[in-house]
Amino acid sequence: MASNEVLIIGGGIAGMQAALDLGEMGIKVHLVERNPSIGGKMAMLDKTFPTNDCTI
Amino acid sequence: MAYSEVTEFSGQVGDFKVKVHRKARYVDDTRCTACGACAEKCPTRVPNEFNFGLDDRKAIYKDYAQGIPSVYTIDPKACKVLQGGKCGVCAKVCQAKAIDYEQKDTDVELTVAAVIVATGYEMFDATQIPEYGYGRLPNVISSLEMERLLSAGGPTKGHLSRPSVVRGEIRLKDLAKQIKKAEKAEDAEALAKLKAEEEWLEDHVKKYHTAKKLGFIQCVGSRDFRFHKYCSSYCCMHSIKEAIIAREHEPETESSIFYMDLRTVGKGFEEYKVRGAQVSGLKYIRGRVAEVTQDEDLNPVVHYEDTEQRRVMSMTLDMVILANACSPARGVVGLSKLLGIELEENNFVKTHPNRPLDTSVPGIFTCGCAQGPLDIPESVAQASSAAARAAEVVMTGGRALAV
Repeated sequence: MASNEVLIIGGGIAGMQAALDLGEMGIKVHLVERNPSIGGKMAMLDKTFPTNDCTI
Repeated sequence: MAYSEVTEFSGQVGDFKVKVHRKARYVDDTRCTACGACAEKCPTRVPNEFNFGLDDRKAIYKDYAQGIPSVYTIDPKACKVLQGGKCGVCAKVCQAKAIDYEQKDTDVELTVAAVIVATGYEMFDATQIPEYGYGRLPNVISSLEMERLLSAGGPTKGHLSRPSVVRGEIRLKDLAKQIKKAEKAEDAEALAKLKAEEEWLEDHVKKYHTAKKLGFIQCVGSRDFRFHKYCSSYCCMHSIKEAIIAREHEPETESSIFYMDLRTVGKGFEEYKVRGAQVSGLKYIRGRVAEVTQDEDLNPVVHYEDTEQRRVMSMTLDMVILANACSPARGVVGLSKLLGIELEENNFVKTHPNRPLDTSVPGIFTCGCAQGPLDIPESVAQASSAAARAAEVVMTGGRALAV
Protein backbone atom coordinates (compact mmCIF):
# COMPACT_ATOMS: atom_id res chain seq x y z
CA MET A 1 0.00 0.00 0.00
CA ALA A 2 1.25 3.45 -0.85
CA SER A 3 2.36 5.69 1.97
CA ASN A 4 0.38 8.79 2.89
CA GLU A 5 3.19 10.68 4.58
CA VAL A 6 5.58 13.37 3.29
CA LEU A 7 9.26 13.98 4.02
CA ILE A 8 10.61 17.55 4.06
CA ILE A 9 14.37 18.05 4.07
CA GLY A 10 15.34 21.39 5.59
CA GLY A 11 13.66 23.26 8.44
CA GLY A 12 14.09 26.86 7.31
CA ILE A 13 11.29 29.20 6.37
CA ALA A 14 10.39 27.21 3.21
CA GLY A 15 10.45 23.79 4.88
CA MET A 16 8.48 25.02 7.90
CA GLN A 17 5.81 26.67 5.76
CA ALA A 18 5.40 23.53 3.60
CA ALA A 19 5.18 21.40 6.76
CA LEU A 20 2.52 23.66 8.27
CA ASP A 21 0.44 23.63 5.08
CA LEU A 22 0.56 19.83 4.79
CA GLY A 23 -0.24 19.51 8.48
CA GLU A 24 -3.32 21.71 8.02
CA MET A 25 -4.46 19.34 5.28
CA GLY A 26 -4.20 16.45 7.75
CA ILE A 27 -1.14 14.90 6.13
CA LYS A 28 1.59 13.50 8.36
CA VAL A 29 4.92 15.24 7.77
CA HIS A 30 8.48 14.35 8.76
CA LEU A 31 10.57 17.52 8.88
CA VAL A 32 14.30 16.78 8.91
CA GLU A 33 16.71 19.55 9.95
CA ARG A 34 20.49 19.29 10.26
CA ASN A 35 20.90 21.85 13.06
CA PRO A 36 19.69 21.55 16.68
CA SER A 37 16.90 24.09 16.09
CA ILE A 38 14.59 24.73 13.15
CA GLY A 39 14.34 28.24 11.74
CA GLY A 40 17.32 28.27 9.38
CA LYS A 41 18.75 31.55 8.18
CA MET A 42 15.55 33.38 8.94
CA ALA A 43 16.03 32.86 12.68
CA MET A 44 19.23 34.92 12.39
CA LEU A 45 17.42 37.89 10.89
CA ASP A 46 16.28 40.79 13.01
CA LYS A 47 13.50 42.26 10.90
CA THR A 48 12.23 41.65 7.37
CA PHE A 49 11.66 43.95 4.41
CA PRO A 50 9.60 45.78 3.23
CA THR A 51 7.46 46.05 6.34
CA ASN A 52 10.19 45.90 9.04
CA ASP A 53 8.27 43.15 10.84
CA CYS A 54 10.07 41.16 13.50
CA THR A 55 11.03 37.65 12.32
CA ILE A 56 10.69 35.62 15.50
CA MET B 1 13.35 15.76 13.61
CA ALA B 2 15.94 18.41 14.25
CA TYR B 3 19.66 17.56 14.51
CA SER B 4 19.08 14.84 11.87
CA GLU B 5 20.15 14.05 8.32
CA VAL B 6 18.86 11.79 5.56
CA THR B 7 21.42 9.02 4.98
CA GLU B 8 19.68 6.45 2.78
CA PHE B 9 17.07 6.84 0.09
CA SER B 10 15.37 4.51 -2.41
CA GLY B 11 12.04 3.74 -4.02
CA GLN B 12 9.71 5.71 -6.20
CA VAL B 13 6.84 8.15 -6.00
CA GLY B 14 4.21 7.00 -3.48
CA ASP B 15 6.67 4.63 -1.86
CA PHE B 16 10.04 6.18 -1.01
CA LYS B 17 12.09 4.40 1.66
CA VAL B 18 14.16 6.81 3.74
CA LYS B 19 16.66 6.37 6.54
CA VAL B 20 17.15 9.39 8.83
CA HIS B 21 20.17 9.60 11.11
CA ARG B 22 19.37 11.37 14.39
CA LYS B 23 22.40 12.72 16.17
CA ALA B 24 22.57 12.34 19.94
CA ARG B 25 21.92 15.57 21.84
CA TYR B 26 23.05 13.94 25.11
CA VAL B 27 19.89 15.48 26.55
CA ASP B 28 16.61 13.58 26.90
CA ASP B 29 14.17 15.66 24.87
CA THR B 30 11.15 14.21 26.70
CA ARG B 31 12.50 15.52 30.01
CA CYS B 32 14.32 18.76 29.16
CA THR B 33 12.25 21.81 30.08
CA ALA B 34 14.75 24.26 28.53
CA CYS B 35 15.08 26.11 31.86
CA GLY B 36 18.70 26.93 31.01
CA ALA B 37 20.26 26.09 34.41
CA CYS B 38 22.74 23.76 32.68
CA ALA B 39 24.05 26.44 30.32
CA GLU B 40 24.27 28.95 33.17
CA LYS B 41 26.56 26.67 35.20
CA CYS B 42 28.49 24.99 32.36
CA PRO B 43 32.16 25.99 32.78
CA THR B 44 33.16 25.52 29.13
CA ARG B 45 32.96 28.52 26.80
CA VAL B 46 33.28 28.32 23.01
CA PRO B 47 32.73 30.94 20.30
CA ASN B 48 29.06 31.09 19.35
CA GLU B 49 28.80 30.24 15.65
CA PHE B 50 25.16 31.35 15.54
CA ASN B 51 26.42 34.90 16.26
CA PHE B 52 29.56 34.46 14.11
CA GLY B 53 31.82 34.47 17.16
CA LEU B 54 30.65 37.92 18.29
CA ASP B 55 29.98 36.32 21.67
CA ASP B 56 30.55 33.01 23.45
CA ARG B 57 28.22 30.15 24.21
CA LYS B 58 28.55 27.21 26.58
CA ALA B 59 29.24 23.58 25.65
CA ILE B 60 25.57 22.86 26.43
CA TYR B 61 23.54 25.29 24.39
CA LYS B 62 20.55 26.40 22.37
CA ASP B 63 21.13 28.48 19.23
CA TYR B 64 18.61 31.08 20.30
CA ALA B 65 16.13 31.40 23.16
CA GLN B 66 13.02 30.76 21.07
CA GLY B 67 14.57 27.75 19.26
CA ILE B 68 12.28 24.83 18.48
CA PRO B 69 12.45 22.05 19.62
CA SER B 70 12.86 23.64 23.01
CA VAL B 71 15.67 21.33 24.12
CA TYR B 72 19.30 21.99 24.99
CA THR B 73 22.08 20.17 23.13
CA ILE B 74 25.58 19.23 24.28
CA ASP B 75 28.33 20.04 21.79
CA PRO B 76 30.39 16.81 21.87
CA LYS B 77 33.52 18.58 20.60
CA ALA B 78 33.51 21.05 23.50
CA CYS B 79 32.01 19.11 26.43
CA LYS B 80 34.66 17.97 28.92
CA VAL B 81 32.81 14.75 29.82
CA LEU B 82 32.26 13.70 26.19
CA GLN B 83 35.92 14.46 25.49
CA GLY B 84 36.85 11.96 28.19
CA GLY B 85 37.50 14.46 30.98
CA LYS B 86 35.82 15.21 34.29
CA CYS B 87 32.99 17.68 34.83
CA GLY B 88 29.33 16.62 35.05
CA VAL B 89 28.14 20.03 36.25
CA CYS B 90 25.11 20.10 33.94
CA ALA B 91 23.92 16.68 35.13
CA LYS B 92 24.19 17.91 38.74
CA VAL B 93 22.19 21.11 38.24
CA CYS B 94 19.52 19.62 35.94
CA GLN B 95 16.36 19.24 38.02
CA ALA B 96 14.55 17.38 35.25
CA LYS B 97 17.35 14.76 35.13
CA ALA B 98 17.52 15.14 31.36
CA ILE B 99 21.29 14.94 30.87
CA ASP B 100 22.38 11.61 29.38
CA TYR B 101 26.07 11.40 28.45
CA GLU B 102 25.50 7.81 27.25
CA GLN B 103 22.91 8.75 24.62
CA LYS B 104 23.66 7.24 21.19
CA ASP B 105 22.86 8.34 17.66
CA THR B 106 19.79 6.56 16.28
CA ASP B 107 18.42 5.75 12.85
CA VAL B 108 14.77 6.08 11.91
CA GLU B 109 13.26 4.36 8.87
CA LEU B 110 10.37 5.98 7.09
CA THR B 111 8.15 5.30 4.10
CA VAL B 112 6.84 8.44 2.43
CA ALA B 113 4.77 9.22 -0.65
CA ALA B 114 6.52 12.47 -1.57
CA VAL B 115 9.59 14.52 -0.66
CA ILE B 116 10.14 18.28 -0.52
CA VAL B 117 13.74 19.50 -0.73
CA ALA B 118 13.97 22.81 1.17
CA THR B 119 17.65 22.87 2.00
CA GLY B 120 18.06 26.60 1.57
CA TYR B 121 21.31 28.39 0.84
CA GLU B 122 24.70 29.22 2.25
CA MET B 123 26.04 32.73 2.65
CA PHE B 124 28.88 33.36 0.17
CA ASP B 125 32.25 33.16 1.92
CA ALA B 126 33.67 36.65 1.42
CA THR B 127 37.23 35.64 2.37
CA GLN B 128 37.40 34.55 -1.29
CA ILE B 129 37.55 38.27 -2.19
CA PRO B 130 40.67 39.32 -0.26
CA GLU B 131 40.55 42.96 -1.47
CA TYR B 132 37.43 43.54 0.67
CA GLY B 133 39.34 42.41 3.76
CA TYR B 134 36.64 40.20 5.24
CA GLY B 135 38.17 38.09 8.02
CA ARG B 136 41.26 40.33 8.03
CA LEU B 137 39.84 43.77 8.84
CA PRO B 138 37.80 43.58 12.08
CA ASN B 139 35.19 46.15 11.05
CA VAL B 140 34.27 44.53 7.74
CA ILE B 141 31.35 42.18 8.35
CA SER B 142 28.85 40.05 6.44
CA SER B 143 25.17 40.89 6.06
CA LEU B 144 24.15 38.15 8.52
CA GLU B 145 26.65 39.39 11.14
CA MET B 146 24.98 42.80 10.79
CA GLU B 147 21.61 41.13 11.44
CA ARG B 148 22.95 39.63 14.67
CA LEU B 149 24.33 43.02 15.76
CA LEU B 150 20.97 44.68 15.08
CA SER B 151 18.94 41.93 16.75
CA ALA B 152 17.58 42.54 20.24
CA GLY B 153 18.33 38.86 20.90
CA GLY B 154 21.86 39.16 19.51
CA PRO B 155 25.28 39.54 21.14
CA THR B 156 24.95 43.30 21.70
CA LYS B 157 21.20 43.26 22.47
CA GLY B 158 20.62 45.41 19.41
CA HIS B 159 23.21 48.09 20.12
CA LEU B 160 25.20 48.79 16.98
CA SER B 161 28.68 48.33 18.44
CA ARG B 162 31.66 48.05 16.15
CA PRO B 163 32.86 44.45 15.86
CA SER B 164 36.40 45.55 16.81
CA VAL B 165 34.90 46.78 20.08
CA VAL B 166 32.69 43.70 20.64
CA ARG B 167 35.64 41.35 20.05
CA GLY B 168 37.94 43.78 21.88
CA GLU B 169 35.83 43.42 25.02
CA ILE B 170 36.11 39.62 24.81
CA ARG B 171 39.87 40.01 24.29
CA LEU B 172 40.14 42.36 27.29
CA LYS B 173 38.72 39.64 29.56
CA ASP B 174 41.32 37.17 28.25
CA LEU B 175 44.04 39.79 28.64
CA ALA B 176 43.17 40.40 32.29
CA LYS B 177 43.66 36.67 32.96
CA GLN B 178 46.93 36.56 31.01
CA ILE B 179 48.25 39.63 32.85
CA LYS B 180 47.55 37.96 36.21
CA LYS B 181 49.43 34.87 35.00
CA ALA B 182 52.38 36.96 33.78
CA GLU B 183 52.47 38.83 37.09
CA LYS B 184 52.66 35.52 38.98
CA ALA B 185 55.39 34.23 36.66
CA GLU B 186 57.22 37.58 36.95
CA ASP B 187 57.72 37.65 33.19
CA ALA B 188 58.42 41.37 32.71
CA GLU B 189 58.71 41.27 28.93
CA ALA B 190 55.40 39.47 28.38
CA LEU B 191 53.73 41.68 30.98
CA ALA B 192 54.77 44.90 29.25
CA LYS B 193 53.48 43.59 25.92
CA LEU B 194 50.13 42.53 27.37
CA LYS B 195 49.71 45.79 29.28
CA ALA B 196 50.38 47.81 26.13
CA GLU B 197 47.73 45.85 24.24
CA GLU B 198 45.29 46.27 27.12
CA GLU B 199 45.85 50.02 27.23
CA TRP B 200 45.36 50.41 23.48
CA LEU B 201 42.22 48.26 23.49
CA GLU B 202 40.68 50.06 26.46
CA ASP B 203 41.21 53.37 24.70
CA HIS B 204 39.79 51.95 21.44
CA VAL B 205 36.68 50.56 23.16
CA LYS B 206 36.04 53.94 24.80
CA LYS B 207 36.61 56.03 21.68
CA TYR B 208 34.82 54.00 19.04
CA HIS B 209 31.92 52.34 20.73
CA THR B 210 29.04 52.88 18.35
CA ALA B 211 29.20 52.48 14.58
CA LYS B 212 27.63 55.58 13.03
CA LYS B 213 29.12 55.82 9.54
CA LEU B 214 28.21 52.68 7.64
CA GLY B 215 29.07 51.53 4.13
CA PHE B 216 27.26 48.69 2.38
CA ILE B 217 29.01 46.95 -0.51
CA GLN B 218 26.61 45.23 -2.90
CA CYS B 219 27.11 42.19 -5.16
CA VAL B 220 29.80 40.47 -3.05
CA GLY B 221 30.18 37.24 -4.99
CA SER B 222 27.07 37.78 -7.12
CA ARG B 223 27.15 39.11 -10.68
CA ASP B 224 30.86 38.45 -10.55
CA PHE B 225 32.35 36.20 -13.21
CA ARG B 226 34.96 34.90 -10.77
CA PHE B 227 32.25 33.48 -8.49
CA HIS B 228 28.50 33.51 -9.14
CA LYS B 229 27.33 34.93 -12.42
CA TYR B 230 23.74 35.20 -11.24
CA CYS B 231 22.06 37.97 -9.25
CA SER B 232 21.21 36.93 -5.67
CA SER B 233 18.03 39.05 -5.89
CA TYR B 234 17.38 39.86 -2.23
CA CYS B 235 20.65 41.61 -1.21
CA CYS B 236 19.71 45.12 -2.45
CA MET B 237 16.59 45.11 -0.32
CA HIS B 238 18.45 43.41 2.52
CA SER B 239 21.11 46.14 2.69
CA ILE B 240 18.55 48.94 2.45
CA LYS B 241 16.61 47.30 5.27
CA GLU B 242 19.70 46.98 7.47
CA ALA B 243 20.58 50.64 6.84
CA ILE B 244 17.04 51.77 7.71
CA ILE B 245 16.97 49.69 10.90
CA ALA B 246 20.44 50.98 11.91
CA ARG B 247 19.08 54.52 11.63
CA GLU B 248 16.09 53.55 13.78
CA HIS B 249 18.45 52.27 16.46
CA GLU B 250 20.75 55.28 16.34
CA PRO B 251 19.39 58.46 14.70
CA GLU B 252 22.89 59.79 13.94
CA THR B 253 23.69 56.84 11.66
CA GLU B 254 24.73 57.72 8.12
CA SER B 255 24.74 54.95 5.54
CA SER B 256 26.14 54.79 2.02
CA ILE B 257 25.24 51.93 -0.28
CA PHE B 258 27.75 51.16 -3.06
CA TYR B 259 25.90 49.44 -5.90
CA MET B 260 26.03 48.40 -9.54
CA ASP B 261 22.24 48.43 -9.98
CA LEU B 262 19.69 48.63 -7.20
CA ARG B 263 17.31 45.81 -8.08
CA THR B 264 14.32 46.49 -5.87
CA VAL B 265 11.85 44.29 -7.72
CA GLY B 266 8.76 43.42 -5.72
CA LYS B 267 5.58 44.74 -4.25
CA GLY B 268 6.35 47.88 -2.24
CA PHE B 269 10.11 47.44 -2.72
CA GLU B 270 10.79 50.50 -4.88
CA GLU B 271 8.82 52.67 -2.44
CA TYR B 272 10.94 51.22 0.38
CA LYS B 273 14.12 52.23 -1.42
CA VAL B 274 12.85 55.78 -1.95
CA ARG B 275 11.75 55.98 1.68
CA GLY B 276 15.25 54.87 2.70
CA ALA B 277 16.73 57.92 0.99
CA GLN B 278 14.05 60.42 2.02
CA VAL B 279 13.33 59.39 5.60
CA SER B 280 16.45 57.53 6.69
CA GLY B 281 18.98 59.60 4.76
CA LEU B 282 20.60 56.70 2.88
CA LYS B 283 23.05 57.64 0.17
CA TYR B 284 23.06 55.42 -2.90
CA ILE B 285 26.43 55.58 -4.67
CA ARG B 286 26.71 53.96 -8.07
CA GLY B 287 30.11 52.38 -8.35
CA ARG B 288 32.00 49.20 -7.70
CA VAL B 289 34.28 49.16 -4.66
CA ALA B 290 37.83 48.27 -5.64
CA GLU B 291 39.39 47.79 -2.23
CA VAL B 292 38.86 48.23 1.49
CA THR B 293 41.81 49.19 3.69
CA GLN B 294 41.90 50.51 7.26
CA ASP B 295 43.49 53.35 9.19
CA GLU B 296 45.37 53.07 12.50
CA ASP B 297 42.13 53.27 14.51
CA LEU B 298 40.71 50.23 12.67
CA ASN B 299 38.34 52.41 10.62
CA PRO B 300 37.71 50.80 7.24
CA VAL B 301 38.51 52.98 4.23
CA VAL B 302 36.56 52.22 1.06
CA HIS B 303 38.15 53.01 -2.31
CA TYR B 304 35.65 53.22 -5.15
CA GLU B 305 34.76 54.87 -8.40
CA ASP B 306 31.69 57.07 -8.29
CA THR B 307 30.46 56.43 -11.82
CA GLU B 308 27.93 59.28 -11.71
CA GLN B 309 30.62 61.83 -10.86
CA ARG B 310 33.25 59.94 -12.87
CA ARG B 311 35.73 60.19 -10.03
CA VAL B 312 37.80 57.75 -8.03
CA MET B 313 37.20 58.44 -4.36
CA SER B 314 37.91 57.14 -0.85
CA MET B 315 35.65 57.22 2.19
CA THR B 316 36.54 56.49 5.82
CA LEU B 317 33.78 54.67 7.69
CA ASP B 318 33.12 53.06 11.08
CA MET B 319 31.97 49.77 9.65
CA VAL B 320 31.57 48.07 6.26
CA ILE B 321 28.80 45.56 5.64
CA LEU B 322 29.10 43.19 2.68
CA ALA B 323 26.04 41.99 0.78
CA ASN B 324 27.13 38.37 0.54
CA ALA B 325 25.78 36.36 -2.37
CA CYS B 326 23.33 33.48 -2.00
CA SER B 327 25.44 30.37 -2.59
CA PRO B 328 24.02 26.85 -2.98
CA ALA B 329 23.68 24.95 0.30
CA ARG B 330 26.61 23.02 1.68
CA GLY B 331 25.90 19.34 1.17
CA VAL B 332 23.39 19.81 -1.64
CA VAL B 333 25.63 17.93 -4.09
CA GLY B 334 25.73 14.88 -1.80
CA LEU B 335 21.99 15.08 -1.16
CA SER B 336 21.20 15.34 -4.87
CA LYS B 337 23.19 12.18 -5.55
CA LEU B 338 21.41 10.40 -2.72
CA LEU B 339 17.96 11.39 -3.98
CA GLY B 340 18.89 11.04 -7.66
CA ILE B 341 17.78 14.59 -8.52
CA GLU B 342 19.62 16.78 -11.00
CA LEU B 343 21.23 20.13 -10.19
CA GLU B 344 21.63 23.01 -12.61
CA GLU B 345 24.98 24.63 -13.46
CA ASN B 346 25.14 26.76 -10.30
CA ASN B 347 24.32 23.76 -8.07
CA PHE B 348 20.78 24.82 -7.29
CA VAL B 349 18.14 22.10 -7.72
CA LYS B 350 17.07 21.76 -11.34
CA THR B 351 13.35 22.23 -11.90
CA HIS B 352 10.96 21.41 -14.72
CA PRO B 353 10.42 24.35 -17.14
CA ASN B 354 6.62 24.08 -16.95
CA ARG B 355 6.30 22.88 -13.37
CA PRO B 356 8.63 25.16 -11.43
CA LEU B 357 8.71 23.14 -8.20
CA ASP B 358 9.11 19.65 -9.70
CA THR B 359 12.60 18.18 -9.67
CA SER B 360 13.83 15.66 -12.24
CA VAL B 361 12.42 12.79 -10.10
CA PRO B 362 8.61 12.36 -9.95
CA GLY B 363 7.35 12.82 -6.39
CA ILE B 364 10.31 14.95 -5.27
CA PHE B 365 9.58 18.67 -5.11
CA THR B 366 11.66 21.66 -4.11
CA CYS B 367 11.04 25.17 -2.80
CA GLY B 368 12.84 28.17 -1.37
CA CYS B 369 16.51 28.97 -1.90
CA ALA B 370 17.30 25.30 -2.65
CA GLN B 371 16.12 26.00 -6.21
CA GLY B 372 17.60 29.52 -6.52
CA PRO B 373 17.97 32.81 -4.63
CA LEU B 374 14.66 34.08 -3.24
CA ASP B 375 13.43 36.44 -0.57
CA ILE B 376 11.18 35.35 2.28
CA PRO B 377 7.73 36.10 0.76
CA GLU B 378 8.63 34.21 -2.42
CA SER B 379 10.04 31.28 -0.40
CA VAL B 380 6.82 31.09 1.59
CA ALA B 381 4.70 31.21 -1.57
CA GLN B 382 6.76 28.44 -3.15
CA ALA B 383 6.57 26.38 0.03
CA SER B 384 2.77 26.45 0.00
CA SER B 385 2.83 25.49 -3.65
CA ALA B 386 5.26 22.60 -3.05
CA ALA B 387 3.05 21.46 -0.16
CA ALA B 388 0.06 21.40 -2.53
CA ARG B 389 2.03 19.37 -5.09
CA ALA B 390 3.07 16.87 -2.40
CA ALA B 391 -0.53 16.68 -1.14
CA GLU B 392 -1.69 15.80 -4.68
CA VAL B 393 0.59 12.78 -4.61
CA VAL B 394 -0.74 11.67 -1.21
CA MET B 395 -4.40 12.22 -2.12
CA THR B 396 -4.18 10.27 -5.37
CA GLY B 397 -2.59 7.31 -3.66
CA GLY B 398 0.92 7.92 -4.92
CA ARG B 399 0.55 8.69 -8.59
CA ALA B 400 3.06 11.12 -10.05
CA LEU B 401 1.07 13.99 -11.42
CA ALA B 402 1.95 15.56 -14.72
CA VAL B 403 0.29 18.78 -15.76
